[in-house]
Amino acid sequence: MRTRVALVLVAGVAFSAIALWLVFSSNHDTHPAFGAALNLVVAWSFIASGLVAWTRRPDNRFGVLMTAVGLTWFIGALSESNDSIPYTVGIVLGLVGFAIFVHALLAFPRGYLETRIVYLTVGTAYAIVTVGQVVAALFYDPTPDCRNCPANALQVVDHNGVTTALNAVLSGLGVLVVGATVFVLVRRWRAASTPLRRALAPVLATGAVTMFLLALLLVLELAHPGAANVVSWVTLFAFASVPLAFLAGLVRSRLAREAVGRLVVALGRARAPGEVRDALADALGDPSLEVAYWLPEQREFFDLHGRRLPLPANDGARWATIVEWDGKRVAAILHDHSLLEDPALVEAAGAAAGLALESERRVAALAESEWRNRALLDAIPDLMFRLSRAGEYLEFKGRAEDVAASPETLIGRTIFDTLPADVASLLAGCIERTLESKELQRVEYDLTLDGRRRSFEGRAVVSGPDEVLLIVRDFTERRRQEAELEALHAELRDRLEELGASRQRIVEAGDVERRRLERNLHDGAQQRLVAVSLTLRLAEGKVATDPGVARQLLGTATEELAIALEELRELARGIHPGVLSERGLEPALGTLVARAPLPVEVDVPLDGRLPGPVEAAAYYVISEALTNIAKYAEASAASVRVSRRNGAAVVEVADDGIGGADPNRGTGLRGLADRVEALDGRLEVQSVPGQGTRVRAVIPCGS
Amino acid sequence: MATTVLIVDDHPGFRATARALLEAEGFDVIGEAETAVQALQAARELQPDIVLLDVQLPDLDGFEVAERLTVNGTGPTVVITSSRDRTDFGPLVSRSGARGFIPKGELSGQAIAELLETPV
Repeated sequence: MRTRVALVLVAGVAFSAIALWLVFSSNHDTHPAFGAALNLVVAWSFIASGLVAWTRRPDNRFGVLMTAVGLTWFIGALSESNDSIPYTVGIVLGLVGFAIFVHALLAFPRGYLETRIVYLTVGTAYAIVTVGQVVAALFYDPTPDCRNCPANALQVVDHNGVTTALNAVLSGLGVLVVGATVFVLVRRWRAASTPLRRALAPVLATGAVTMFLLALLLVLELAHPGAANVVSWVTLFAFASVPLAFLAGLVRSRLAREAVGRLVVALGRARAPGEVRDALADALGDPSLEVAYWLPEQREFFDLHGRRLPLPANDGARWATIVEWDGKRVAAILHDHSLLEDPALVEAAGAAAGLALESERRVAALAESEWRNRALLDAIPDLMFRLSRAGEYLEFKGRAEDVAASPETLIGRTIFDTLPADVASLLAGCIERTLESKELQRVEYDLTLDGRRRSFEGRAVVSGPDEVLLIVRDFTERRRQEAELEALHAELRDRLEELGASRQRIVEAGDVERRRLERNLHDGAQQRLVAVSLTLRLAEGKVATDPGVARQLLGTATEELAIALEELRELARGIHPGVLSERGLEPALGTLVARAPLPVEVDVPLDGRLPGPVEAAAYYVISEALTNIAKYAEASAASVRVSRRNGAAVVEVADDGIGGADPNRGTGLRGLADRVEALDGRLEVQSVPGQGTRVRAVIPCGS
Repeated sequence: MATTVLIVDDHPGFRATARALLEAEGFDVIGEAETAVQALQAARELQPDIVLLDVQLPDLDGFEVAERLTVNGTGPTVVITSSRDRTDFGPLVSRSGARGFIPKGELSGQAIAELLETPV
């Protein structure tokens, strides 16, 4: 960098010497001393301020451009030469510095061009001072204006009309460039934030004035060449003032550092949260400044209200500068991009405010934790009351429909004003117990709200001297569910008991049936067979002595055997009808009906057979029902129907007898019901006196 | 003199056949009884040599009747009979004081005679 500065300075000094020599040896300069002095001031003010800017921000091209304006300004001095070629270069390229100036102005303060209009403007400016000037020079004869001037080396044609026309075109374009530049500068000014405006103000103002004068000059040169001469001096002064304005801006920013000193004093006075921010905003001249406090437990930045404050990405209009205190991250200052003009200032301010920010950070941490607790409370659906010892409502959180009085009127009233006397005294007791024991107390109560009976459970804890926090939960729904569950349990218990009883009855019925069978076998077939055996033995003894008696005895034995066989068959049918298992329900019902003592109509519209257990249950229901009809119904006819409906077998037996049968009396029907229910079916008996009896069984056929 | 017999059974068919069978083989059937009460009374009145006693009676069972008949070692010789098998009763027969057991299907004068000849 130093080499570059040295080179620029050496070049500047060399150019100055050459320019002075050219001016004072010129035979066509009317005000050599004045012109030389003014041009040197212009050139050196640009070179000096350019070098300052360049050294300060080497990556920003603004400094280079300003330096270039200064150095190229010396080209104009070549027009003082008495030789044709340097003279021609001087008059043709003498205005290059203005184009670079436009470039520098439009690149300020970032150092680079941005929008299309800016590119176009800068491009046009360069075109005018190079191509435009060269073309104009082809037709320009300087001798009429300047008797001693050397010849224009580029001149091909001497045509005053063309020169005038070309000058008019170039001036017009120049006015456009100037107009566009002023437009861009004004727009930039309006878009700038306050601190940025402050930084831009000197350069933009002097630049705009220069541009305006330049435009005036261009117009006047066409209309009033005499007046133009005066304006051109003024313009040069204005032009030279731009770099000085830039330097003045820098000085002002240096002065701003004094603000840090004031900041320290202001921080010493800062007491209330947020005053540190105000002091920083004031010292740095950025009203939009914010402070974000670092909470290490959360690993995030927060504001003083405990809300998250994410840092900007440091690539746009907002920037964040981290502040450390005692080697630890404390906060971040969120500020306008323009403060980066002097980043050290922001850091100095941050360092000065470090201690104050560290103590405010605790406020932020407290706010954050309070905010989190509040969020936690908000997330709890329970009602919360803060109540005084006397039962006065101090605070309330919850939904309006959950309280007995409107929430707006609640505070300041007491539980005795808003609640039924019994509930209020219950709560008062709970408050008293809580305050006495200093331990959590529970209370349960019911309230009728909007015509609905609701159950609440309250938990009270001490929340301050003579006050409790009562957290109330609505458990109406839970209580209802509990009742429902209890009912379900009861039903289940009943069903289990019924099932146990039914199983016991089935077992007992089985035992009774076996005893009956044994008794029947013993009393019936067995006795007959014993008798046959004895008769045969008797006959055996008589065969030789009394053949007539023997034959008679054999006849008796044969008859007894036939009866015994019939009894055995009857018994076997009672155990399980063979026809049922072999041929199915309908043929089995056929034999049942054939033995019945009254006419029975049978209707069995089944396609295919029912499952074995269902078939057997249906058979016994019909068999028992027919037996009952024969024994008690005094009926003249009966009907049997077995059908399939919705996956279940439906068995119906009806008679036209006297009715009045009681299904709970006697074991027959009860045993049948057990058998049907064991298959998840049900048995119904309708028996109105005088209207016959109807037995109906529905037995699911399973999957 | 023929051995006297009292037949106790609630089935008239069996009593008739048993009487015919035993009389054909030379026994003297001097009485019949249907129930335990009748049996005890008839035994007292008729003093039979042998009581042919069915197990299953409407009022008491045959073993209890046998005990009462043979109490003190006096009284008639009791022969228990049943349409069931001897193994159905186990030690009940010997404990009741009866002389022995004859299944109904095997009843004959000879079976009774053999039972009387076996040493007690």
